[in-house]
Amino acid sequence: MIAALAAVALALVPLVVKADFVLTIFIFSFILGIAAVGFDIIFGIAGQLSMFHAASFGIAGYTTFLVMKAWALSFWLGLLPALALVVAMSVVIGSICFKFRLKAFYFAVVTLAFSELARLVVMNWTGLTNGTLGLMIMAKPVIGFGSLSRPIEGTLAWYYLTLVSLALAVVAARAVVRSWIGRACGAIRLNEDLAQTLGIDIFRYKMLAFAIANVLAALAGALFAFYTGYIDPSYLSIGQSLDIIAMVLIGGQGTVLGPVVGAFVLTGLPHLIEIGAEQRAMLIGAILIAAILLFPRGIVGSLIRLARRAV
Amino acid sequence: MTQLLIGQLLNGLIVGTLYGIIALGVTLTFGITGIVNFALGEFMMIGAYSAWYLADVVGLPYPVALLPAVAIAGLCGLAADQLLFRFTRDNLVNGLLVSIGLISIIESGALLSWTATPKEMDYVLSGTVRLAGIGLPKMRLVVFALLAAVIFLTYVGLMRTWLGRAAYAYAQNPEAARLMGVRTGLLQSGVFVYSTALAGLGGALYATLYSLEPFMGGLYVLKGVEAAILGGIGSLSGALVGGLILGVTESIGAIFLPTAFRDAYGLIFVVAILVLRPGGLFGEGR
Repeated sequence: MIAALAAVALALVPLVVKADFVLTIFIFSFILGIAAVGFDIIFGIAGQLSMFHAASFGIAGYTTFLVMKAWALSFWLGLLPALALVVAMSVVIGSICFKFRLKAFYFAVVTLAFSELARLVVMNWTGLTNGTLGLMIMAKPVIGFGSLSRPIEGTLAWYYLTLVSLALAVVAARAVVRSWIGRACGAIRLNEDLAQTLGIDIFRYKMLAFAIANVLAALAGALFAFYTGYIDPSYLSIGQSLDIIAMVLIGGQGTVLGPVVGAFVLTGLPHLIEIGAEQRAMLIGAILIAAILLFPRGIVGSLIRLARRAV
Repeated sequence: MTQLLIGQLLNGLIVGTLYGIIALGVTLTFGITGIVNFALGEFMMIGAYSAWYLADVVGLPYPVALLPAVAIAGLCGLAADQLLFRFTRDNLVNGLLVSIGLISIIESGALLSWTATPKEMDYVLSGTVRLAGIGLPKMRLVVFALLAAVIFLTYVGLMRTWLGRAAYAYAQNPEAARLMGVRTGLLQSGVFVYSTALAGLGGALYATLYSLEPFMGGLYVLKGVEAAILGGIGSLSGALVGGLILGVTESIGAIFLPTAFRDAYGLIFVVAILVLRPGGLFGEGR
Protein backbone atom coordinates (compact mmCIF):
# COMPACT_ATOMS: atom_id res chain seq x y z
CA MET A 1 0.00 0.00 0.00
CA ILE A 2 2.65 2.47 1.10
CA ALA A 3 4.87 1.18 -1.68
CA ALA A 4 2.16 1.80 -4.30
CA LEU A 5 1.55 5.32 -3.00
CA ALA A 6 5.27 6.02 -3.02
CA ALA A 7 5.54 4.76 -6.60
CA VAL A 8 2.68 7.03 -7.74
CA ALA A 9 4.22 9.98 -5.89
CA LEU A 10 7.59 9.29 -7.52
CA ALA A 11 5.94 9.03 -10.94
CA LEU A 12 4.56 12.54 -10.43
CA VAL A 13 7.85 14.07 -9.27
CA PRO A 14 9.04 15.16 -12.76
CA LEU A 15 5.85 17.24 -13.16
CA VAL A 16 6.93 19.39 -10.23
CA VAL A 17 10.70 19.14 -10.29
CA LYS A 18 12.27 20.24 -13.55
CA ALA A 19 15.89 20.46 -12.47
CA ASP A 20 17.99 17.81 -14.27
CA PHE A 21 20.38 17.74 -11.36
CA VAL A 22 17.68 16.59 -8.93
CA LEU A 23 16.17 14.06 -11.34
CA THR A 24 19.64 12.60 -11.94
CA ILE A 25 19.98 11.87 -8.23
CA PHE A 26 16.61 10.12 -8.37
CA ILE A 27 17.73 8.02 -11.35
CA PHE A 28 20.93 6.91 -9.60
CA SER A 29 18.91 6.10 -6.48
CA PHE A 30 16.46 4.02 -8.51
CA ILE A 31 19.21 2.04 -10.21
CA LEU A 32 21.24 1.41 -7.06
CA GLY A 33 17.97 0.69 -5.25
CA ILE A 34 17.44 -2.31 -7.54
CA ALA A 35 20.83 -3.73 -6.57
CA ALA A 36 20.15 -3.02 -2.89
CA VAL A 37 16.75 -4.76 -3.01
CA GLY A 38 18.55 -7.77 -4.50
CA PHE A 39 21.24 -7.76 -1.83
CA ASP A 40 18.55 -7.62 0.84
CA ILE A 41 17.22 -11.00 -0.34
CA ILE A 42 20.50 -12.81 0.21
CA PHE A 43 21.57 -10.82 3.30
CA GLY A 44 18.44 -9.52 5.02
CA ILE A 45 16.20 -12.51 4.29
CA ALA A 46 18.54 -15.49 3.93
CA GLY A 47 21.21 -14.10 6.28
CA GLN A 48 24.24 -14.74 4.03
CA LEU A 49 26.77 -11.93 3.67
CA SER A 50 27.56 -12.12 -0.05
CA MET A 51 30.32 -9.95 -1.47
CA PHE A 52 29.63 -10.95 -5.05
CA HIS A 53 27.03 -8.37 -6.06
CA ALA A 54 29.59 -5.86 -7.33
CA ALA A 55 30.85 -8.55 -9.69
CA SER A 56 27.31 -9.28 -10.94
CA PHE A 57 26.75 -5.55 -11.31
CA GLY A 58 29.86 -5.01 -13.40
CA ILE A 59 29.83 -8.26 -15.36
CA ALA A 60 26.27 -7.59 -16.53
CA GLY A 61 27.24 -4.10 -17.65
CA TYR A 62 30.18 -5.38 -19.70
CA THR A 63 28.37 -8.43 -21.09
CA THR A 64 25.29 -6.50 -22.19
CA PHE A 65 27.39 -3.96 -24.02
CA LEU A 66 29.79 -6.46 -25.61
CA VAL A 67 27.01 -8.78 -26.76
CA MET A 68 25.09 -5.83 -28.19
CA LYS A 69 28.16 -4.65 -30.06
CA ALA A 70 29.23 -8.07 -31.33
CA TRP A 71 25.86 -9.14 -32.75
CA ALA A 72 24.20 -5.75 -33.23
CA LEU A 73 21.39 -6.64 -30.84
CA SER A 74 19.10 -4.35 -28.87
CA PHE A 75 19.79 -3.57 -25.21
CA TRP A 76 17.08 -5.97 -24.04
CA LEU A 77 18.38 -8.87 -26.15
CA GLY A 78 21.89 -8.10 -24.93
CA LEU A 79 20.67 -8.08 -21.35
CA LEU A 80 19.39 -11.67 -21.56
CA PRO A 81 22.78 -13.37 -22.08
CA ALA A 82 24.21 -11.08 -19.39
CA LEU A 83 21.58 -12.24 -16.91
CA ALA A 84 22.10 -15.86 -18.02
CA LEU A 85 25.86 -15.51 -17.45
CA VAL A 86 25.31 -14.08 -13.97
CA VAL A 87 22.89 -16.90 -13.11
CA ALA A 88 25.43 -19.47 -14.33
CA MET A 89 28.17 -17.87 -12.21
CA SER A 90 25.84 -17.78 -9.21
CA VAL A 91 25.15 -21.49 -9.63
CA VAL A 92 28.85 -22.35 -9.83
CA ILE A 93 29.89 -20.16 -6.89
CA GLY A 94 26.78 -21.03 -4.90
CA SER A 95 27.42 -24.74 -5.43
CA ILE A 96 30.97 -24.40 -4.16
CA CYS A 97 29.94 -22.39 -1.11
CA PHE A 98 26.78 -24.19 -0.12
CA LYS A 99 27.92 -27.70 -0.95
CA PHE A 100 30.94 -27.31 1.30
CA ARG A 101 28.84 -25.53 3.91
CA LEU A 102 30.82 -22.31 3.92
CA LYS A 103 28.94 -19.98 6.22
CA ALA A 104 29.20 -16.46 7.64
CA PHE A 105 32.80 -15.25 7.35
CA TYR A 106 33.88 -18.05 5.02
CA PHE A 107 30.99 -17.39 2.65
CA ALA A 108 31.86 -13.70 2.64
CA VAL A 109 35.54 -14.41 1.94
CA VAL A 110 34.92 -16.91 -0.86
CA THR A 111 32.38 -14.69 -2.61
CA LEU A 112 34.81 -11.79 -2.18
CA ALA A 113 37.57 -13.93 -3.69
CA PHE A 114 35.47 -14.73 -6.75
CA SER A 115 34.43 -11.10 -7.07
CA GLU A 116 38.06 -9.98 -7.01
CA LEU A 117 39.04 -12.68 -9.51
CA ALA A 118 36.30 -11.42 -11.82
CA ARG A 119 37.66 -7.89 -11.44
CA LEU A 120 41.20 -9.06 -12.23
CA VAL A 121 39.95 -10.83 -15.36
CA VAL A 122 38.03 -7.76 -16.52
CA MET A 123 41.00 -5.51 -15.78
CA ASN A 124 43.52 -7.66 -17.66
CA TRP A 125 41.47 -8.89 -20.60
CA THR A 126 42.32 -5.68 -22.40
CA GLY A 127 41.41 -6.93 -25.86
CA LEU A 128 37.82 -7.28 -24.81
CA THR A 129 37.36 -4.73 -22.02
CA ASN A 130 39.99 -2.09 -22.77
CA GLY A 131 41.43 -2.67 -19.27
CA THR A 132 41.39 0.08 -16.69
CA LEU A 133 40.60 2.71 -19.32
CA GLY A 134 37.07 1.37 -19.61
CA LEU A 135 34.62 1.51 -22.48
CA MET A 136 32.43 4.31 -23.74
CA ILE A 137 28.85 3.19 -24.36
CA MET A 138 27.10 5.24 -27.03
CA ALA A 139 24.13 2.91 -27.58
CA LYS A 140 20.88 3.48 -25.73
CA PRO A 141 18.10 1.05 -24.80
CA VAL A 142 15.12 1.24 -27.17
CA ILE A 143 11.55 0.56 -26.17
CA GLY A 144 8.55 -0.19 -28.37
CA PHE A 145 8.39 -1.93 -31.75
CA GLY A 146 8.68 -0.82 -35.34
CA SER A 147 7.59 2.73 -36.00
CA LEU A 148 6.65 3.21 -32.33
CA SER A 149 10.14 2.50 -31.02
CA ARG A 150 11.87 5.23 -29.04
CA PRO A 151 15.42 5.27 -27.73
CA ILE A 152 15.72 6.08 -24.04
CA GLU A 153 17.50 9.40 -24.13
CA GLY A 154 17.45 12.38 -21.88
CA THR A 155 16.75 12.61 -18.17
CA LEU A 156 12.98 12.21 -18.27
CA ALA A 157 12.96 9.00 -20.31
CA TRP A 158 15.62 7.49 -18.07
CA TYR A 159 13.67 8.60 -15.01
CA TYR A 160 10.64 6.57 -16.01
CA LEU A 161 12.61 3.58 -17.32
CA THR A 162 14.53 3.24 -14.06
CA LEU A 163 11.46 3.93 -11.92
CA VAL A 164 9.53 1.17 -13.68
CA SER A 165 12.50 -1.19 -13.37
CA LEU A 166 12.75 -0.46 -9.66
CA ALA A 167 9.01 -0.96 -9.18
CA LEU A 168 9.19 -4.31 -10.98
CA ALA A 169 12.19 -5.31 -8.85
CA VAL A 170 10.35 -4.38 -5.65
CA VAL A 171 7.21 -6.25 -6.71
CA ALA A 172 9.27 -9.31 -7.64
CA ALA A 173 11.30 -9.17 -4.43
CA ARG A 174 8.18 -8.80 -2.34
CA ALA A 175 6.55 -11.75 -4.08
CA VAL A 176 9.64 -13.85 -3.36
CA VAL A 177 9.84 -12.73 0.27
CA ARG A 178 6.17 -13.47 0.93
CA SER A 179 6.23 -16.83 -0.82
CA TRP A 180 7.44 -20.12 0.62
CA ILE A 181 10.91 -19.19 -0.64
CA GLY A 182 11.05 -16.18 1.67
CA ARG A 183 9.83 -18.21 4.63
CA ALA A 184 12.32 -20.99 4.00
CA CYS A 185 15.14 -18.43 3.71
CA GLY A 186 13.99 -16.73 6.92
CA ALA A 187 14.14 -20.07 8.72
CA ILE A 188 17.68 -20.61 7.40
CA ARG A 189 18.73 -17.16 8.65
CA LEU A 190 17.33 -17.71 12.13
CA ASN A 191 18.62 -21.24 12.64
CA GLU A 192 20.14 -23.21 9.84
CA ASP A 193 20.38 -26.52 11.71
CA LEU A 194 16.80 -26.32 12.84
CA ALA A 195 15.65 -25.42 9.33
CA GLN A 196 17.37 -28.50 8.00
CA THR A 197 15.81 -30.66 10.69
CA LEU A 198 12.41 -29.37 9.60
CA GLY A 199 13.07 -30.68 6.12
CA ILE A 200 13.98 -27.42 4.37
CA ASP A 201 16.42 -28.01 1.53
CA ILE A 202 19.05 -25.50 2.63
CA PHE A 203 21.17 -25.86 -0.48
CA ARG A 204 18.25 -25.14 -2.81
CA TYR A 205 16.94 -22.07 -0.99
CA LYS A 206 20.32 -20.48 -0.38
CA MET A 207 21.07 -20.98 -4.05
CA LEU A 208 17.76 -19.43 -5.09
CA ALA A 209 18.30 -16.40 -2.84
CA PHE A 210 21.88 -16.00 -4.13
CA ALA A 211 20.80 -16.22 -7.78
CA ILE A 212 17.88 -13.80 -7.38
CA ALA A 213 20.12 -11.32 -5.57
CA ASN A 214 22.73 -11.49 -8.31
CA VAL A 215 20.18 -11.15 -11.10
CA LEU A 216 18.84 -7.93 -9.57
CA ALA A 217 22.40 -6.62 -9.13
CA ALA A 218 23.03 -7.52 -12.79
CA LEU A 219 19.96 -5.63 -13.98
CA ALA A 220 21.09 -2.61 -11.98
CA GLY A 221 24.60 -2.87 -13.39
CA ALA A 222 23.41 -2.94 -17.00
CA LEU A 223 21.14 0.07 -16.45
CA PHE A 224 23.91 1.93 -14.62
CA ALA A 225 26.46 1.35 -17.38
CA PHE A 226 24.06 2.47 -20.12
CA TYR A 227 22.83 5.47 -18.18
CA THR A 228 26.30 6.80 -17.46
CA GLY A 229 27.48 5.72 -20.94
CA TYR A 230 30.73 4.39 -19.50
CA ILE A 231 32.01 1.28 -17.79
CA ASP A 232 35.33 0.43 -16.19
CA PRO A 233 36.65 -2.26 -13.79
CA SER A 234 35.83 -0.10 -10.74
CA TYR A 235 32.22 -1.25 -11.21
CA LEU A 236 33.41 -4.58 -9.82
CA SER A 237 35.37 -3.12 -6.90
CA ILE A 238 34.88 -4.03 -3.26
CA GLY A 239 33.80 -0.44 -2.69
CA GLN A 240 30.81 -0.95 -4.96
CA SER A 241 29.73 -3.95 -2.87
CA LEU A 242 30.18 -1.94 0.31
CA ASP A 243 28.04 0.96 -0.91
CA ILE A 244 25.19 -1.47 -1.55
CA ILE A 245 25.65 -3.14 1.85
CA ALA A 246 25.55 0.29 3.49
CA MET A 247 22.31 1.12 1.67
CA VAL A 248 20.64 -2.04 2.93
CA LEU A 249 21.82 -1.52 6.50
CA ILE A 250 20.76 2.11 6.64
CA GLY A 251 17.37 1.48 5.07
CA GLY A 252 16.67 -1.61 7.11
CA GLN A 253 17.60 -5.18 6.29
CA GLY A 254 14.87 -7.70 5.52
CA THR A 255 12.25 -5.05 4.73
CA VAL A 256 12.30 -4.96 0.87
CA LEU A 257 11.50 -1.22 0.84
CA GLY A 258 14.26 -0.34 3.30
CA PRO A 259 17.09 -0.79 0.79
CA VAL A 260 15.37 1.65 -1.59
CA VAL A 261 15.21 4.24 1.18
CA GLY A 262 18.87 3.50 1.95
CA ALA A 263 19.77 4.01 -1.71
CA PHE A 264 18.07 7.41 -1.65
CA VAL A 265 19.81 8.47 1.56
CA LEU A 266 23.29 7.41 0.45
CA THR A 267 22.94 8.76 -3.10
CA GLY A 268 21.28 12.02 -2.12
CA LEU A 269 23.12 12.92 1.06
CA PRO A 270 26.50 13.72 -0.52
CA HIS A 271 24.71 16.10 -2.92
CA LEU A 272 22.68 17.88 -0.27
CA ILE A 273 25.83 18.90 1.53
CA GLU A 274 28.68 20.04 -0.68
CA ILE A 275 31.57 17.66 -0.10
CA GLY A 276 34.45 16.13 -2.00
CA ALA A 277 35.06 12.49 -2.85
CA GLU A 278 37.24 11.82 0.20
CA GLN A 279 34.73 13.29 2.62
CA ARG A 280 32.02 11.29 0.88
CA ALA A 281 33.88 8.02 1.51
CA MET A 282 34.42 9.08 5.11
CA LEU A 283 30.73 9.93 5.52
CA ILE A 284 29.62 6.57 4.11
CA GLY A 285 31.99 4.78 6.49
CA ALA A 286 30.66 6.75 9.46
CA ILE A 287 27.05 6.15 8.42
CA LEU A 288 27.73 2.43 8.00
CA ILE A 289 29.22 2.18 11.50
CA ALA A 290 26.47 4.30 13.06
CA ALA A 291 23.78 2.23 11.33
CA ILE A 292 25.22 -1.01 12.71
CA LEU A 293 25.92 0.15 16.25
CA LEU A 294 23.05 2.59 16.85
CA PHE A 295 20.23 1.67 14.44
CA PRO A 296 20.56 -2.04 13.73
CA ARG A 297 17.04 -2.08 12.29
CA GLY A 298 17.64 0.75 9.84
CA ILE A 299 15.24 3.52 8.93
CA VAL A 300 12.34 1.42 7.64
CA GLY A 301 12.84 -1.25 10.28
CA SER A 302 12.63 1.35 13.06
CA LEU A 303 9.51 2.92 11.49
CA ILE A 304 7.78 -0.46 11.28
CA ARG A 305 8.58 -1.05 14.93
CA LEU A 306 7.22 2.37 15.90
CA ALA A 307 4.04 1.76 13.91
CA ARG A 308 3.53 -1.62 15.57
CA ARG A 309 3.94 -0.08 19.00
CA ALA A 310 1.43 2.67 18.21
CA VAL A 311 -1.24 0.18 17.19
CA MET B 1 68.50 -17.42 -13.54
CA THR B 2 69.62 -18.67 -10.12
CA GLN B 3 70.36 -15.10 -9.10
CA LEU B 4 66.87 -14.05 -10.17
CA LEU B 5 65.22 -17.01 -8.51
CA ILE B 6 66.99 -16.50 -5.19
CA GLY B 7 66.40 -12.76 -5.30
CA GLN B 8 62.71 -13.33 -5.86
CA LEU B 9 62.65 -15.99 -3.16
CA LEU B 10 64.05 -13.51 -0.65
CA ASN B 11 61.57 -10.86 -1.76
CA GLY B 12 58.81 -13.38 -1.35
CA LEU B 13 59.94 -14.28 2.15
CA ILE B 14 59.99 -10.62 3.24
CA VAL B 15 56.60 -9.86 1.78
CA GLY B 16 55.46 -13.17 3.23
CA THR B 17 56.49 -12.19 6.77
CA LEU B 18 54.56 -8.93 6.28
CA TYR B 19 51.50 -10.97 5.26
CA GLY B 20 52.26 -13.25 8.18
CA ILE B 21 52.23 -10.47 10.77
CA ILE B 22 48.84 -9.27 9.53
CA ALA B 23 47.62 -12.88 9.43
CA LEU B 24 48.78 -13.30 13.02
CA GLY B 25 46.66 -10.28 14.01
CA VAL B 26 43.68 -11.64 12.09
CA THR B 27 43.97 -15.04 13.75
CA LEU B 28 44.46 -13.66 17.27
CA THR B 29 41.57 -11.20 16.99
CA PHE B 30 39.28 -13.86 15.56
CA GLY B 31 40.15 -16.39 18.27
CA ILE B 32 39.64 -14.04 21.19
CA THR B 33 37.09 -11.43 20.13
CA GLY B 34 35.18 -13.47 17.56
CA ILE B 35 35.46 -10.90 14.79
CA VAL B 36 37.66 -10.45 11.75
CA ASN B 37 39.21 -7.02 11.75
CA PHE B 38 39.49 -5.99 8.12
CA ALA B 39 40.81 -2.60 9.21
CA LEU B 40 44.14 -4.17 10.29
CA GLY B 41 45.65 -3.04 7.01
CA GLU B 42 44.74 0.54 7.92
CA PHE B 43 46.63 0.23 11.21
CA MET B 44 49.57 -0.98 9.16
CA MET B 45 49.22 2.12 7.03
CA ILE B 46 49.07 4.29 10.17
CA GLY B 47 52.27 2.65 11.43
CA ALA B 48 53.98 3.21 8.08
CA TYR B 49 53.01 6.87 7.79
CA SER B 50 53.91 7.51 11.45
CA ALA B 51 57.36 6.03 10.92
CA TRP B 52 57.86 8.06 7.75
CA TYR B 53 56.64 11.24 9.45
CA LEU B 54 58.77 10.81 12.57
CA ALA B 55 61.89 9.82 10.66
CA ASP B 56 61.77 12.07 7.60
CA VAL B 57 59.71 15.10 8.65
CA VAL B 58 60.50 15.35 12.38
CA GLY B 59 64.02 14.02 11.78
CA LEU B 60 64.33 11.31 14.40
CA PRO B 61 66.76 8.49 13.65
CA TYR B 62 64.76 5.54 12.32
CA PRO B 63 65.36 3.11 15.22
CA VAL B 64 64.11 5.80 17.63
CA ALA B 65 61.09 6.53 15.46
CA LEU B 66 60.09 2.86 15.25
CA LEU B 67 58.75 2.53 18.79
CA PRO B 68 56.51 5.64 18.80
CA ALA B 69 55.19 4.62 15.37
CA VAL B 70 54.12 1.26 16.75
CA ALA B 71 52.68 2.99 19.81
CA ILE B 72 50.61 5.35 17.62
CA ALA B 73 49.14 2.39 15.72
CA GLY B 74 48.40 0.66 19.03
CA LEU B 75 46.75 3.78 20.49
CA CYS B 76 44.56 4.11 17.41
CA GLY B 77 43.72 0.46 17.90
CA LEU B 78 42.79 1.12 21.53
CA ALA B 79 40.53 3.98 20.50
CA ALA B 80 38.86 1.85 17.80
CA ASP B 81 38.35 -0.97 20.28
CA GLN B 82 36.83 1.17 23.01
CA LEU B 83 34.67 3.29 20.72
CA LEU B 84 33.53 0.66 18.21
CA PHE B 85 34.60 -2.95 18.49
CA ARG B 86 33.70 -3.25 22.19
CA PHE B 87 30.10 -3.35 20.96
CA THR B 88 30.57 -6.00 18.30
CA ARG B 89 32.23 -8.75 20.36
CA ASP B 90 31.41 -12.22 19.06
CA ASN B 91 29.17 -10.78 16.36
CA LEU B 92 31.08 -11.66 13.26
CA VAL B 93 29.01 -9.92 10.62
CA ASN B 94 28.64 -6.69 12.59
CA GLY B 95 32.34 -6.66 13.44
CA LEU B 96 33.22 -7.25 9.81
CA LEU B 97 31.00 -4.41 8.61
CA VAL B 98 32.18 -1.99 11.31
CA SER B 99 35.79 -2.70 10.40
CA ILE B 100 34.94 -2.14 6.74
CA GLY B 101 33.32 1.20 7.60
CA LEU B 102 36.44 2.07 9.57
CA ILE B 103 38.56 1.37 6.47
CA SER B 104 36.81 4.09 4.48
CA ILE B 105 37.16 6.54 7.35
CA ILE B 106 40.89 5.97 7.95
CA GLU B 107 41.69 5.71 4.25
CA SER B 108 39.99 8.96 3.34
CA GLY B 109 41.55 10.58 6.41
CA ALA B 110 44.97 9.58 5.09
CA LEU B 111 44.09 10.84 1.62
CA LEU B 112 43.11 14.21 3.05
CA SER B 113 46.24 14.52 5.17
CA TRP B 114 48.89 13.16 2.81
CA THR B 115 47.24 13.06 -0.65
CA ALA B 116 47.51 10.10 -2.99
CA THR B 117 51.09 10.92 -4.04
CA PRO B 118 53.34 8.05 -2.88
CA LYS B 119 55.84 8.92 -0.16
CA GLU B 120 59.37 7.58 -0.30
CA MET B 121 61.31 7.29 2.91
CA ASP B 122 65.04 8.02 2.89
CA TYR B 123 67.32 5.01 2.98
CA VAL B 124 67.73 3.79 6.52
CA LEU B 125 70.37 1.21 5.80
CA SER B 126 71.92 0.91 2.39
CA GLY B 127 74.32 -1.58 0.93
CA THR B 128 74.15 -5.29 0.35
CA VAL B 129 75.59 -8.40 1.87
CA ARG B 130 77.17 -10.78 -0.61
CA LEU B 131 76.38 -14.37 0.13
CA ALA B 132 77.56 -17.12 -2.21
CA GLY B 133 77.78 -14.63 -5.05
CA ILE B 134 74.28 -13.24 -4.54
CA GLY B 135 73.73 -9.69 -3.31
CA LEU B 136 71.17 -9.35 -0.52
CA PRO B 137 70.10 -5.82 0.53
CA LYS B 138 70.89 -5.33 4.22
CA MET B 139 67.63 -3.59 5.09
CA ARG B 140 65.57 -6.47 3.72
CA LEU B 141 67.44 -8.93 5.89
CA VAL B 142 66.92 -6.73 8.95
CA VAL B 143 63.19 -6.41 8.27
CA PHE B 144 62.86 -10.14 7.72
CA ALA B 145 64.74 -10.94 10.92
CA LEU B 146 62.77 -8.43 13.02
CA LEU B 147 59.38 -9.60 11.81
CA ALA B 148 60.26 -13.26 12.19
CA ALA B 149 61.56 -12.55 15.71
CA VAL B 150 58.38 -10.74 16.72
CA ILE B 151 56.18 -13.53 15.39
CA PHE B 152 58.34 -16.11 17.17
CA LEU B 153 58.23 -14.16 20.47
CA THR B 154 54.44 -13.89 20.22
CA TYR B 155 54.30 -17.63 19.74
CA VAL B 156 56.55 -18.27 22.73
CA GLY B 157 54.65 -15.73 24.81
CA LEU B 158 51.36 -17.45 24.12
CA MET B 159 52.80 -20.89 24.81
CA ARG B 160 54.77 -20.17 27.96
CA THR B 161 53.12 -17.40 29.95
CA TRP B 162 50.02 -17.24 32.12
CA LEU B 163 48.56 -14.66 29.77
CA GLY B 164 48.96 -17.00 26.83
CA ARG B 165 47.30 -19.86 28.67
CA ALA B 166 44.47 -17.51 29.65
CA ALA B 167 44.01 -16.61 25.99
CA TYR B 168 43.96 -20.27 24.99
CA ALA B 169 41.49 -21.07 27.76
CA TYR B 170 39.30 -18.23 26.58
CA ALA B 171 39.41 -19.39 22.98
CA GLN B 172 38.31 -22.87 24.06
CA ASN B 173 35.63 -21.95 26.56
CA PRO B 174 34.98 -18.28 27.39
CA GLU B 175 32.67 -18.99 30.29
CA ALA B 176 34.98 -21.43 32.04
CA ALA B 177 37.88 -19.02 31.56
CA ARG B 178 35.89 -16.25 33.20
CA LEU B 179 35.07 -18.51 36.14
CA MET B 180 38.77 -19.31 36.53
CA GLY B 181 39.53 -15.63 37.06
CA VAL B 182 40.47 -14.52 33.55
CA ARG B 183 39.44 -10.90 33.09
CA THR B 184 37.91 -11.50 29.73
CA GLY B 185 37.05 -7.91 28.82
CA LEU B 186 40.63 -6.85 29.42
CA LEU B 187 41.93 -9.87 27.53
CA GLN B 188 39.79 -9.07 24.49
CA SER B 189 40.83 -5.42 24.41
CA GLY B 190 44.46 -6.39 24.98
CA VAL B 191 44.50 -8.85 22.10
CA PHE B 192 42.74 -6.39 19.81
CA VAL B 193 45.25 -3.63 20.60
CA TYR B 194 48.19 -6.04 20.31
CA SER B 195 47.07 -7.08 16.85
CA THR B 196 46.84 -3.45 15.72
CA ALA B 197 50.30 -2.75 17.17
CA LEU B 198 51.67 -5.77 15.27
CA ALA B 199 50.16 -4.38 12.09
CA GLY B 200 51.69 -0.98 12.95
CA LEU B 201 55.11 -2.60 13.33
CA GLY B 202 54.67 -4.32 10.00
CA GLY B 203 53.82 -0.96 8.46
CA ALA B 204 56.74 0.88 10.07
CA LEU B 205 59.14 -1.71 8.66
CA TYR B 206 57.35 -1.73 5.31
CA ALA B 207 58.07 2.01 5.09
CA THR B 208 61.82 1.35 4.90
CA LEU B 209 61.47 -0.87 1.83
CA TYR B 210 58.58 0.36 -0.30
CA SER B 211 56.83 3.63 -1.06
CA LEU B 212 53.73 4.58 0.93
CA GLU B 213 50.29 5.39 -0.34
CA PRO B 214 46.96 5.63 1.49
CA PHE B 215 45.51 2.53 -0.20
CA MET B 216 48.32 0.16 0.80
CA GLY B 217 46.32 -1.25 3.71
CA GLY B 218 43.48 -2.73 1.70
CA LEU B 219 45.79 -4.99 -0.29
CA TYR B 220 47.76 -6.19 2.71
CA VAL B 221 44.76 -7.01 4.86
CA LEU B 222 43.31 -9.08 2.03
CA LYS B 223 46.59 -10.97 1.80
CA GLY B 224 46.72 -11.30 5.60
CA VAL B 225 43.24 -12.79 5.72
CA GLU B 226 44.11 -15.12 2.86
CA ALA B 227 47.28 -16.21 4.66
CA ALA B 228 45.38 -16.76 7.92
CA ILE B 229 42.78 -18.93 6.17
CA LEU B 230 45.47 -20.82 4.28
CA GLY B 231 47.34 -21.60 7.50
CA GLY B 232 44.15 -22.24 9.41
CA ILE B 233 42.32 -19.63 11.45
CA GLY B 234 43.34 -19.98 15.08
CA SER B 235 46.80 -21.36 14.33
CA LEU B 236 49.72 -19.03 15.10
CA SER B 237 52.38 -20.96 13.20
CA GLY B 238 49.83 -21.39 10.39
CA ALA B 239 49.60 -17.60 10.08
CA LEU B 240 53.34 -17.29 9.47
CA VAL B 241 53.60 -20.28 7.16
CA GLY B 242 50.49 -19.20 5.25
CA GLY B 243 52.03 -15.75 4.79
CA LEU B 244 55.34 -17.19 3.61
CA ILE B 245 53.69 -19.59 1.15
CA LEU B 246 51.62 -16.76 -0.27
CA GLY B 247 54.54 -14.32 -0.49
CA VAL B 248 56.89 -16.85 -2.12
CA THR B 249 54.24 -18.05 -4.58
CA GLU B 250 53.59 -14.48 -5.66
CA SER B 251 57.20 -13.56 -6.22
CA ILE B 252 58.22 -16.84 -7.88
CA GLY B 253 55.04 -16.76 -9.94
CA ALA B 254 56.00 -13.29 -11.18
CA ILE B 255 59.00 -14.83 -12.98
CA PHE B 256 56.97 -17.27 -15.02
CA LEU B 257 53.55 -15.66 -15.39
CA PRO B 258 52.47 -12.07 -16.08
CA THR B 259 52.33 -9.92 -12.95
CA ALA B 260 48.61 -9.44 -13.50
CA PHE B 261 48.18 -12.86 -11.86
CA ARG B 262 49.87 -11.68 -8.68
CA ASP B 263 46.72 -11.00 -6.70
CA ALA B 264 44.99 -14.11 -8.02
CA TYR B 265 47.16 -16.74 -6.27
CA GLY B 266 45.88 -15.93 -2.80
CA LEU B 267 42.27 -15.90 -3.92
CA ILE B 268 42.70 -19.29 -5.59
CA PHE B 269 44.47 -20.65 -2.49
CA VAL B 270 41.61 -19.52 -0.28
CA VAL B 271 38.92 -21.13 -2.41
CA ALA B 272 40.95 -24.33 -2.77
CA ILE B 273 41.82 -24.68 0.92
CA LEU B 274 38.27 -23.97 2.10
CA VAL B 275 36.91 -26.59 -0.25
CA LEU B 276 39.58 -29.26 0.27
CA ARG B 277 40.63 -28.74 3.87
CA PRO B 278 38.44 -26.13 5.58
CA GLY B 279 40.52 -26.11 8.78
CA GLY B 280 43.53 -24.79 6.87
CA LEU B 281 46.98 -26.38 6.58
CA PHE B 282 47.66 -26.28 10.31
CA GLY B 283 44.18 -26.33 11.81
CA GLU B 284 42.12 -29.34 12.71
CA GLY B 285 39.63 -30.42 10.06
CA ARG B 286 36.35 -28.67 10.58
